[in-house]
Amino acid sequence: MIKSKNEAIVSQNYVPTNCEILSITTLTPSEKLFKIKMPNGKELGHMPGQFVQVSIPGLTEAPISVASSPTRKGYFELAVRNAGTLTGALHKLDEGDYLGIRGPFGSCFDIEAMKGKNLLLISGGCGLAPMRSLIQYCEDNIDEFENVKILYGAKNPEQMLFKDEIRQWEESRHFNCLYTVDEIKSGDNYKGKVGLITKLIPPLNIDKNNTIAVIIGPPVMYKFVIAELMKKGINEEQIIVSLERYMRCGIGKCGHCVIEHKYCCIDGPVFWLKDVMELKGAL
Amino acid sequence: MKALTSAEMKSFLKSLTGEYDVRAPVRLEDGTRALGHLDEGRLAIEGGPIARKPNDIFFPQFDVILNAKGNKFKVADSLQKPLFVIGFTAEDCECLEFVDKFYSENFRDEIYFAKRDKAVIAAVSGKCGKDGEMLKIAGGKCDLEFIYDGSKYIVCAYTLKGKKIEEKIKCEEKSAKIDELKKLSDSIHNEDLEILKKAGELIRKNAVPDDFWKEIANRCISCTACNIACPTCTCFDVCDHDRERVIERIRMWDSCQLDGFMREASGHNPLGEEYLRARRRIHHKLAADYERWGHITCFLCGRCDDVCPTNIGIKSVNREIVKRFG
Ligand SMILES: Cc1cc2nc3c(=O)[nH]c(=O)nc-3n(C[C@H](O)[C@H](O)[C@H](O)COP(=O)(O)OP(=O)(O)OC[C@H]3O[C@@H](n4cnc5c(N)ncnc54)[C@H](O)[C@@H]3O)c2cc1C
Ligand code: SF4
Ligand code: SF4
Ligand code: FES
Repeated sequence: MIKSKNEAIVSQNYVPTNCEILSITTLTPSEKLFKIKMPNGKELGHMPGQFVQVSIPGLTEAPISVASSPTRKGYFELAVRNAGTLTGALHKLDEGDYLGIRGPFGSCFDIEAMKGKNLLLISGGCGLAPMRSLIQYCEDNIDEFENVKILYGAKNPEQMLFKDEIRQWEESRHFNCLYTVDEIKSGDNYKGKVGLITKLIPPLNIDKNNTIAVIIGPPVMYKFVIAELMKKGINEEQIIVSLERYMRCGIGKCGHCVIEHKYCCIDGPVFWLKDVMELKGAL
Repeated sequence: MKALTSAEMKSFLKSLTGEYDVRAPVRLEDGTRALGHLDEGRLAIEGGPIARKPNDIFFPQFDVILNAKGNKFKVADSLQKPLFVIGFTAEDCECLEFVDKFYSENFRDEIYFAKRDKAVIAAVSGKCGKDGEMLKIAGGKCDLEFIYDGSKYIVCAYTLKGKKIEEKIKCEEKSAKIDELKKLSDSIHNEDLEILKKAGELIRKNAVPDDFWKEIANRCISCTACNIACPTCTCFDVCDHDRERVIERIRMWDSCQLDGFMREASGHNPLGEEYLRARRRIHHKLAADYERWGHITCFLCGRCDDVCPTNIGIKSVNREIVKRFG
């Protein structure tokens, strides 16, 4: 809380904190990774699955998931796709520039429920950004989880995010990592699988009694992936989804992210499947 | 009891302007009856609900919430004096009570409460509706109430803030027949309320098919008036205005009746079909909010039925629901 001139008590709900960009990495032709630090050595204080509202004066705000784990101290990362006005302007920023941050907001992955379980982390496209926060968290607390499988699907090899890290996860003895692309064109230097992400599930060996699956991806992905998981005996109480909605405030007031009686920005974006599967328009 | 004649009301409200930013129903030059400052038009307390929702004082159509010079934002200055607002009907008070709860839950919206916290709300009721029609007595849910008995406004204070105002009124009225007025108020039969509850039950039971919403959608011209007029509609959009080196971040009312309301950067649009938007307008208040807040969030103020150019305000849609699926 800060006090304004006229002594009325006003809060920082809507006031962004200016944060410095430490470095920028190009991930794909349309996505960049921003490494950012909070002022005065503070931590963002997020948990995997949460998002922030990124702000540039004159261009309003956009919700962006935190792509790094809180176990990596002193900074946080955002992977941003150039999708319009604000994200386009972010792509033009340089190291040392500042951007406004509000948050962290929203629900996070239920880490407590995941402890001691096998994890099946399934992401498509941009969904790997929030999933990476969870993957890094698992990497840094590997003793807390049983087997961790990472499945990732991208449109084509060019659009794959975090290629170097995927290679490390493939080689890591802690993870099983599988990936696929929808299509390749001649000249692509790509040796992995081709086909939809749903194809990665049937061959898997899944302990249906001790597994939690997490799904983050484009809207079309959910129904098909869920159907494949159910065939493997995984039910709605073992599946976590993270949903994207148009968001303007991030704090349950603007009404844009509403799914029936749930607010995606405060009740979500991370939900247990059982809590949203009956809601019209959720999946 | 304290009481005021219409003439005394005018000078009384004037006497409050030193301490309060007074807003009252006034007749503007163009003939509109609206909440305004006393010098904006002739006082027009009588006449029933004001066309524009009165709680827009706390979340106006355009609200500058932040200012930025360079790249540093700060909260925009709020009002200097506390507000004194007279002109809420009993239904408006119920709407306000819900919106207060909505803005305080989860994240307390301090931009709203910077205006709302110190404000004094005065309801108007009794025989002062359109053509002297009896308006329901609020009996609480506001700081104080002025109940018109046909010649005088009888004053009832409900909160400390209200009592502070009541003390300033000197005129006593010994023969005030408040009990009679209360009886009259209680006897107002509200058929719409029964229909509202019944329609809510039907929607929550899934007894209203998508085809019905398709019919309603066919009659809707997406003018957004229903949302804009509704005291319990709170949705807003955010935009930044560049005003010569000062950037203002503004929030402004938005409407779920517009195609782009939920459209995401990817093109995915959960409310991409007209019938889904027609359903949302009513389902949200009768089913979604019922689930979230434990009650229906339409208080039958009547505004959406008054403004809808194609006669599909909530009361009329509820009637159709009950007639066809009840
Ligand atoms: C919880 C959450 C997490 C997200 N995480 C990421 C992430 O990690 N990386 C990433 O690149 N993107 C992410 N997004 C999507 C990102 O918010 C949108 O791409 C961004 O808002 C587009 O803003 P813009 O100003 O660049 O586009 P605009 O020029 O404003 O709009 C382009 C299109 O995007 C739509 N749009 C505008 N604002 C929003 C909004 N707030 N939410 C959704 N759609 C919007 C518009 O309707 C329009 O169709 C996330 C979204 C949500 C809700
Ligand atoms: S009658 Fe219409 S405008 Fe009034 S509260 Fe109900 S939905 Fe809103
Ligand atoms: S006022 Fe009537 S026509 Fe206009 S958007 Fe609302 S329901 Fe549709
Ligand atoms: S983003 Fe505003 S209510 Fe969820």
